[in-house]
Amino acid sequence: MMDLILGYLTIGLVNGSFYALLSLGLALIFGLLNILNMTHGVLYMMGAFAAWAGSRYLGLGYFAGLVFAPVCVAAFGVILERSLLRRTYGLDPLYGFMLTFGAAMVVQGGLQAHFGSTGLPYAAPDWLSGGLDLGFLYFPAYRLWVVAVALVICVIVWVAIAHTRLGSVLRASSENAATAEALGVGVPRVFAATFALGAALAGLAGALAAPIYQVSPLMGSDILLVVFAIIVIGGMGSIGGTIVSSYVLALIESLTQALVPQAASFIVFAFMCVVLLLRPQGLFGISVIRSHEFLAARLPWIEPADKETAPKRLTGLVPTLAAVAALSALPMLLYPVYLMKIFCFTIFAASFNFLLGFAGIMSFGQAALFGTAAYLTAHAAREWALPPEAAIGVGIAAALALGLVMGIFAIRRRGIYQAMITLAIAQMVYFVYVQASFTHGEDGIQSVPRGMLLGLIDLRNDTNVYWLSAAAMLGVLFGLRRLINSPFGMMLIAIRDNERRALSLGHNVDAYKLAAFGIAAFCAGVAGSMSAIVFQLATLSGVHWHLSGEAVLMALIGGIGTFGGPLVGAAVLVTMQHFLSPFGAWIVAIQGAVFVLCVLLFRDGLLPHALALAANLRRQDATSKTAVAPQAMEAIGR
Amino acid sequence: MSDAVSLRLSHVQAWYGDSQALFGVGFAVRPGEVTCLVGRNGAGKTTILRAIMGLLPRQTGSIVLSGREASGMRPYERTRFGIGYCPEERAIFSSLTVEENLDLPPAVRAADMAKDEIFALFPNLRTRGRHYGDQLSGGEQQMLAIARILRTGAQTLLLDEPTEGLAPVIVRQIEHALIELKRRGYTILLVEQNLDFVLHLADRVVAIENGVVVDDLETRGGEHVKSRLLERLAL
Repeated sequence: MMDLILGYLTIGLVNGSFYALLSLGLALIFGLLNILNMTHGVLYMMGAFAAWAGSRYLGLGYFAGLVFAPVCVAAFGVILERSLLRRTYGLDPLYGFMLTFGAAMVVQGGLQAHFGSTGLPYAAPDWLSGGLDLGFLYFPAYRLWVVAVALVICVIVWVAIAHTRLGSVLRASSENAATAEALGVGVPRVFAATFALGAALAGLAGALAAPIYQVSPLMGSDILLVVFAIIVIGGMGSIGGTIVSSYVLALIESLTQALVPQAASFIVFAFMCVVLLLRPQGLFGISVIRSHEFLAARLPWIEPADKETAPKRLTGLVPTLAAVAALSALPMLLYPVYLMKIFCFTIFAASFNFLLGFAGIMSFGQAALFGTAAYLTAHAAREWALPPEAAIGVGIAAALALGLVMGIFAIRRRGIYQAMITLAIAQMVYFVYVQASFTHGEDGIQSVPRGMLLGLIDLRNDTNVYWLSAAAMLGVLFGLRRLINSPFGMMLIAIRDNERRALSLGHNVDAYKLAAFGIAAFCAGVAGSMSAIVFQLATLSGVHWHLSGEAVLMALIGGIGTFGGPLVGAAVLVTMQHFLSPFGAWIVAIQGAVFVLCVLLFRDGLLPHALALAANLRRQDATSKTAVAPQAMEAIGR
Repeated sequence: MSDAVSLRLSHVQAWYGDSQALFGVGFAVRPGEVTCLVGRNGAGKTTILRAIMGLLPRQTGSIVLSGREASGMRPYERTRFGIGYCPEERAIFSSLTVEENLDLPPAVRAADMAKDEIFALFPNLRTRGRHYGDQLSGGEQQMLAIARILRTGAQTLLLDEPTEGLAPVIVRQIEHALIELKRRGYTILLVEQNLDFVLHLADRVVAIENGVVVDDLETRGGEHVKSRLLERLAL
């Protein structure tokens, strides 16, 4: 037993080395650029690929690869920063987050489409193939080498930042970039150099990892989330703290692997939740000097009572009849399943849109709620043979309960931290479902029975399901709209715009935020439950964090904080996936590119852009009519 | 045009978001002169300094530094013309020591002031080298903020209310330092509320009201200037 534990501890040290190299770079980039770099996992993966490609195509040896990989990744980092990221500075950090999310999809999707998901082998040099026998412990030489290299590099970076002039330039720019620039510091170069440094560290980690784990496009996807958790646990502002946390958590993780293997994949996330409850600023975090929060004023909020922008009357006989007519006509023109997917995704996007647009809460864990509802509804309908309304109820209730738990942790921090926390919790939920037997792993719960709604309506009939999902979508959209215009909604908006003010006026801000989280969880639950009934299927992809990304994407495409935005966003995304299916594996990369373009070009969303365009056209129309009118009068007079 | 001005603003307009703060400001500062911006709170004095440094989200008009058009340049490029900005909030880097704060700015001119000279000018800083920025008193922070821009070799100093919120004894020290800097030939554009000190130090006074220049006069007139300013600004 002792041997086993010690053996796992050596693995822990190795993983800790990778975590340290990654979290160090991530923390530097976050501290200076105020961007949560979602490409960091991809940079790590690119390091491994660069080492592999250098050996395969350029005949580079192992050590040459160890230099070549970080240089390549750093060069990529500089290009990314100078060409794309630069355009999000001065905007809300949300945009940098989404831009890097899209860029990561492009790179990962592209490499996956080209190389597939199976690993490529990469060999360590021969003289590192042996091991060191300490009597009580056998330490493979390559692992020892990895730990040594990582420690040396981390300490060099740490000392350089704390004690050199370049380090002081970095610290000064992180603290107050505008003042540093006014003193003559070339801040744009500092930004590019810092991003390059972070990328190089990630690339080095990837090159070091290549012989241990195989080189695969997906290798950075899960490690990124662990590193987020480590940064939250360690707290910002302390480089030493980040390095120490990396090793400590990797050791805890490997110890768990030895003792309770089932819990190993989420122990770090569980640890993060505990730290957040006891010490929200993180273990080594000092009180926040510069808060990485969203600045409400920078997001294109739409006014709550959207009397000007929204169609004036959405109720009443004529609009209702028109809506019913449109909804009846659509299935004749378009494939009903495609429409129902749009409806489900609209509900899902509306949940995120409500949370960010009106409560100012950034949740990147909505997929966990969606997936929970889908699994529970599917399970209740299939195994417990519950009628659909009860199965849906079970799913929604589960999502609501999980959402409230998630909310308790998430509302303890704001902005980017909130995104990281929700993402980490969602990842924990994902691992639970991966291991739970009732989800049937990769297969998912299939052929979910639809049954009779309320014992009256036969849902095996596609038309009935179509109307049910349409009703659910309209119910959620109008329900949220009503809520936003209620005193409760006004309070949420007030908290979003100025939390301290709301607090000082004596409002229980946390209760409002938690309630908002619950409402959003309810909506995500409706979406998940409906999808289980509509597609008769609940799978792991419904819990995966990429789905959370799609919620953000849809809300962004449609226009955050708008009433109809989620519908527009969902329609665009579903249509895109529909038409891009011939491209097969490239779909992720293309979707990522669309994501990047949306952040760069349509930050405010398509719907506000379209409304503005329509308003402009109307105005031009009106002016041209008034211009024409007098001539017409003359003509008549003559 | 390398005429005898260190700094010339023409038709400068600036906005914060949708609200306009400057409505076509124009004046010039001659080398070696101390020019003082006076005006009520919110008149646009700080905005003018920030516009000169290029720190505003949106601005138009021309800003000429040492004979070169600087509008459109990034702030760090403007410092190459020997201009140094000391903001009202001082903005000392709290995560840097005093030494590091002093060593941070790249020397853009050969005329950068040595640390010994700095400590002669501000004796309080001499013993504080290894202290972090947030461990300094307000007065020390202000001295450090001025010292920091002298380290770059800047010859034109933009100082935003350097004596605001400080104890009288510290105010006197800073005033003496400014007089000394003037004696050494530095060009200073100063925002200052204390009219008596302004009239004592400044060669020219530019009065700002609602984002435009409402008066621009030499201080040699003595009491007459003061009463005119008081009247102009309705102080």
